[in-house]
Amino acid sequence: MSLIESKSEFDRFDFFLGAFYFVFVLFLIRMVDMQILKHEYYLKLAEKNRTQVINQAAPRGRIISADGTVLASNKPSYSLIYFPDSKTSLQDIKKMALYASKYVGADKEIVFNMLLKAKNSQKPVKVASNLGSYAIMRISELKNFYPGFQMVSEAIREYPYGTWLSHITGYMGKIDAFEWKNYSSLPEYSMDSLVGKTGVEKIYEKYLKGKDGGLYVEVDNKGRMVKIADSREGEPGSDLYLTVNFNMQSAAEKALADLPYKRGAAIALDPYSGKILVYAVKPGFDPNFSVNYNEEKKEKDKNFDEFNIGVQGAYPPASVFKIITSIAVLENDNPPPDEKFFCPGFYDAGDRIFKCWEKKGHKNMDLISGLAHSCDVYYYNAALRVGPLEIEKTAYEFGFGQKTGAMFLSENSGNLFGPRVRARKKSYWFIGDTLNLAIGQGETLVTPMQMAVFAAALASKGLIYEPYYAEKILKRNGEEVFYNSPKLKNKIKLKEKTWEKIYEAMGEVIKTGTGRPIFTEGLEIYGKTGTAQNPHGKDHAWFICFAKKPGEKSKVAVASLIEHGEHGSTSALSVAKAIIRAAYPDTKSDSSKDFSSPVE
Amino acid sequence: MITGSGLKKTRFDWYLFAFALVLIAIGTFAILSSTSLLPAQSRIIRTHFLALFVGLIFMLLFWVINYQIFNDQWKYVYAFSIIILAGLFIFGVVDKGSRSWYRLPFFSLQPSEFARIGLILSLSSYLEKNFNRMSEFFYLFLGLLITAPFMFLMLKQPDFSGILITLPVIFAMFYVAGASSFHVYVILAYVFVSSLFPFLWTAIVLNPDLADNMFISAFFELADLGWNTFFFIVFVSAAAYLIWKITVYFKNIPGIYFAGFAVIIIAGFLTGIFIKQQIKSYQYKRVEVFISPEKDPKGAGYNLLQARIAIGSGGFLGKGIFSGTQSRLGFVPERHTDFILSVIGEELGFIGTFGAMSLYALIIYRIRKIAALARDNYGYFICVGFFALFFSYFLINFGMILGFLPVAGVPLPMLSYGGSNLVSVFIILGLIQSVYSRRYSIT
Repeated sequence: MSLIESKSEFDRFDFFLGAFYFVFVLFLIRMVDMQILKHEYYLKLAEKNRTQVINQAAPRGRIISADGTVLASNKPSYSLIYFPDSKTSLQDIKKMALYASKYVGADKEIVFNMLLKAKNSQKPVKVASNLGSYAIMRISELKNFYPGFQMVSEAIREYPYGTWLSHITGYMGKIDAFEWKNYSSLPEYSMDSLVGKTGVEKIYEKYLKGKDGGLYVEVDNKGRMVKIADSREGEPGSDLYLTVNFNMQSAAEKALADLPYKRGAAIALDPYSGKILVYAVKPGFDPNFSVNYNEEKKEKDKNFDEFNIGVQGAYPPASVFKIITSIAVLENDNPPPDEKFFCPGFYDAGDRIFKCWEKKGHKNMDLISGLAHSCDVYYYNAALRVGPLEIEKTAYEFGFGQKTGAMFLSENSGNLFGPRVRARKKSYWFIGDTLNLAIGQGETLVTPMQMAVFAAALASKGLIYEPYYAEKILKRNGEEVFYNSPKLKNKIKLKEKTWEKIYEAMGEVIKTGTGRPIFTEGLEIYGKTGTAQNPHGKDHAWFICFAKKPGEKSKVAVASLIEHGEHGSTSALSVAKAIIRAAYPDTKSDSSKDFSSPVE
Repeated sequence: MITGSGLKKTRFDWYLFAFALVLIAIGTFAILSSTSLLPAQSRIIRTHFLALFVGLIFMLLFWVINYQIFNDQWKYVYAFSIIILAGLFIFGVVDKGSRSWYRLPFFSLQPSEFARIGLILSLSSYLEKNFNRMSEFFYLFLGLLITAPFMFLMLKQPDFSGILITLPVIFAMFYVAGASSFHVYVILAYVFVSSLFPFLWTAIVLNPDLADNMFISAFFELADLGWNTFFFIVFVSAAAYLIWKITVYFKNIPGIYFAGFAVIIIAGFLTGIFIKQQIKSYQYKRVEVFISPEKDPKGAGYNLLQARIAIGSGGFLGKGIFSGTQSRLGFVPERHTDFILSVIGEELGFIGTFGAMSLYALIIYRIRKIAALARDNYGYFICVGFFALFFSYFLINFGMILGFLPVAGVPLPMLSYGGSNLVSVFIILGLIQSVYSRRYSIT
C-alpha cells in the first residue's frame, strides 16, 4: 500500500486533475467567446446558410425626354435557372444539358459544365437569360420532367429608338473587374449585375439602379427549398428626365437620315440655359446590343461605332468664323462697317494669290453684304486692318479652343488659331495666316458642340452656358432627387451697335444670302453657312442659326455639320431647318424659297 | 484506511451514476433532434436504446464482479483484447475506409472500444506488479512493449482517432505509476519525432507547390525507404558526433546524451516512415484541416466551420430543442456522432454546453475521488486509466470543435451516438463502481 500512502504519487495524479481544470477553464472561455460574445456573428452566418436569396432585380429607372417620350425603359425577360439536387444523376444532367442547350441556343458542352458545376457546388446557376417565346414554351414543358429547372422573370433594358440619342443615354453591360471594386460594397450589385457603361446610364447609375427585391427561401444543406421565408419588394430606380425635346430630336434624326451623307451632327441648345434640345449624331450605335450581349460574341461583331462626332469630331469652322471676324471688326470700328472693299474674285497677298469662293468676284462689299454673301476678299481686307490678335481674342471669348463642359466622355477641345498661340509654340506668324484665320480655314478647329454654344451665345447676346442634357431625376413617387441648373460660364460684353450689325448681317444671310432656304414666315432667323475645305475629300458643310419670333427671346440655337456635305446651304441647312420648324411648329414653311441654287 | 470526505458508506456511487445518466439523457435528446430528418433515424434510435439497455446490464455485471479478478487473470484479459482486435483482419468489414467493425446480424460492433478497456486493465495489472520499479527505464520500456500490439493493430485498421485517444492514457498511467520524468520525456520526444515526420510529409503531399523548393523536395524523398534513409541515418549520427566534439571544448557533457539524441531522432524517423506507409490518403485531409480550417468553405474545413457556426448561433439559451437550423438542415456533418456538441450548443445554447462540460468535470472529479478510496493499487490504476480516457475524449472532442485541435473523428462518450462506445462506457462505469464498492476489505 505504499503507493497510496506516498504523498508524491498523489501529486502526480493531481497534476492531471489540475491539467483538466486548466483545459476546462480554457474551453469555457472559448465557449463564452463563441456563444455569448460572437453570438451575433455566428447567428448571421447561420441565417445566411439557411436562407438563399433569389434576387428579383428592381426595374431600372427610365430615361425620359423633356416632353415625356420614354427613351429607355424595361421589358420583362425570362431567365432559366437551375437549382441543383444532389440526387440528380450524371445521366440526367447530360440529358438536361442536351435539351436546355437546344432550346436556348447555347453550346451543349458549356451548358453541361455549368450544370455539373452547380451540382457539385450545390448552388443555383443561371443557364440562360432573355429567352424567346419558343424557348419559354419548351422549357415550361421541360420543367415537368426536370424539376431543377426554374424560370425567373427579370426586367431588361430596352431602348425603343435604337441609335437615337445613344451617345447621351449610353448602354448597359456586364460589370467588369474595375467597376466591381466600386460597386461591390453595395448590396444591389453582384458579379453578374449589369451596369451603365457610358452616357447617363453610367453617370447616374446610382439613381437609376433602384433597390433589388428578393425571395428569401429556407434551404437545407443540399440547397433544396424547404419553405419561402420572406419576400421583399424592390424599389424601382428613379426616372431621369433629359432636356432633349423629342419632337425636335426626331425631326433632326429624320432629316439627318434623309441625307445621303454618312456622318453628321446637329445640336440645338436653349440659348438662355445651355439645355441641349437636340443631340443628333450620325452614325449612332444601338444600345440594345448589350441587352442580348453574349459573352461568346465579341463587340466587334456588332455594328458598333462609339465615336461621338458631336463632341469628338473637330473641323475647320470655315465661313461661320467670319462672324467672329466681323465682331472683331465692329468692336474696333476698324474698318468701319460701311467701308467698302472691291472683290475681283481674288486677293493678291504679294507672294500668293488668295481666292474668293465666287470666282467672278462680288464687286463692292461692305460688312453686311460681305457676311451675307460670305465674301472672302472683304474679310481678307478687314482682317488685315483689324489685325489677327483681335480676331483670336474674340474667338477665345466665344469658347473656341476650350471644352464646352458638356458631360460627354472625352470631349475634344478643338484648336484655337492665332498669333498668340503661334507665339506660344515659338513659331512665326505670316500675312497668309491672318487671311486664313479671317475666313476660318487655317488651323482653327471646332467641334459641333462648340459651334452650338457659339450660336447660342449669339442668340442670347453673349451668354455662354455650359451645355447639359440631364434635367432632373424623379423617384417614382415624384420626389425630386437631382436637379441640374444652368451654369453661366461667361458673359461677353459687346457694344449694342455690334450686336445690331451682326444680327442685321446674319438676318441678311437668310433673307438674301446663302441661307435663303431656311426662310420661314413669321420667324426671325439669323444664320451663317460654312464650307470647310477638306484636302482629303469632299468639303464639310456647316450651318449655324438661331430663331425667334419677333419681339420674343430666342428659343433655339442650332449648329449642324455634315461631313463631306459639300455646301452648308443645302445639307447642313436642311437639318437645321427641320429643327427650327419643329421648335416653332405653328409657323408655316415657305416652300417657294426651298433649295434654290446651291450657294455657299 | 482513507475515507473520502462526503462519501457515504454505500456500495454504489449514485453521484457518478446520476451524472452519467443526465449526460446520456442530454445526448439522447440531441441524437433524437439531429437525426429527425434522417431516413435512418428509426434504426439509429433503436440501436441507441438497445445499447443503453445492454450497457446498463453490463454495468451491473461489472459492478457485481470483483475487479481484482482481472488482475489475477490479466493474461486472459490481454489475450482476449488482442484477439478481438486481430480478428478484425479476418472477420471485420470495411466502413468509411477502415476495417474496424464486426457485422453481426442486428448490429455492428467496434472491438477497439472494448480492447481499449482490456488494455487499461492489463496495463494496470502490469503497473501494479512493477510500480516500485517503474522509475527504471527497462520497466517503462517493457510496459510500452505490452501496449505495442494494440497500437499496431489500431494503426493497421486504421483507427487513427483510436490511437489519438489511447496514447495519452498510456502515458498518464506510466507517469502516475512513477515512471521517471526524464524517461517519459525521452519517449514523448520519440513519439513526437515519429509523428512529426509523417505530419510534414503529409503536409507536402497536400501542398505540391512546396515541393518546388529543393530542400523540401529532398526532405520529401526521405519518406520512402532506400539509400536516402541510409544517408539520413549517417548524417544524423555524424552531426550528433560533431556537435558533441565541439561542445566538449566548452562544457564536458557525456557523449551518451548526444548518442541518445541521435538514437531518438533515427528511431523516430524510422517509425515515421513506417507510420507514413500505414496512413491512407483520406486521412491526409485531416492534417490539412489542422493547418488551415477556413481555407475552403466547401472542402475539408467546411465541416468544422459549420459546427462552429452551429455552436455560436445557439447563443446563451439556444434555439430550443428540435429547433436548430444548422444541425437539423444538415449543415453540420456527423452531427449525431462526433459533432454532437454542436447540436447541444445550437439547441440548448451556452447553458447546454456549460452543463455538459460541468457534468464531465464532475464525473472526472468523481473518478479521482474513487481512485483515492481504492483498496489496492490495481483499482487505483484502473481509475487512473479511465480518468485519463475521459480526459482524453473531452480534450480531443471539445478541443476539435472549439478549434484548438484538428478534426479527428472522436466521439464524445455518453453524448454521441455509437452503440459500442455507449456499452463500453457502461462497462467502465461498472468497473469504477466495482472499485468503489470494494473500497473496504470486504471481498
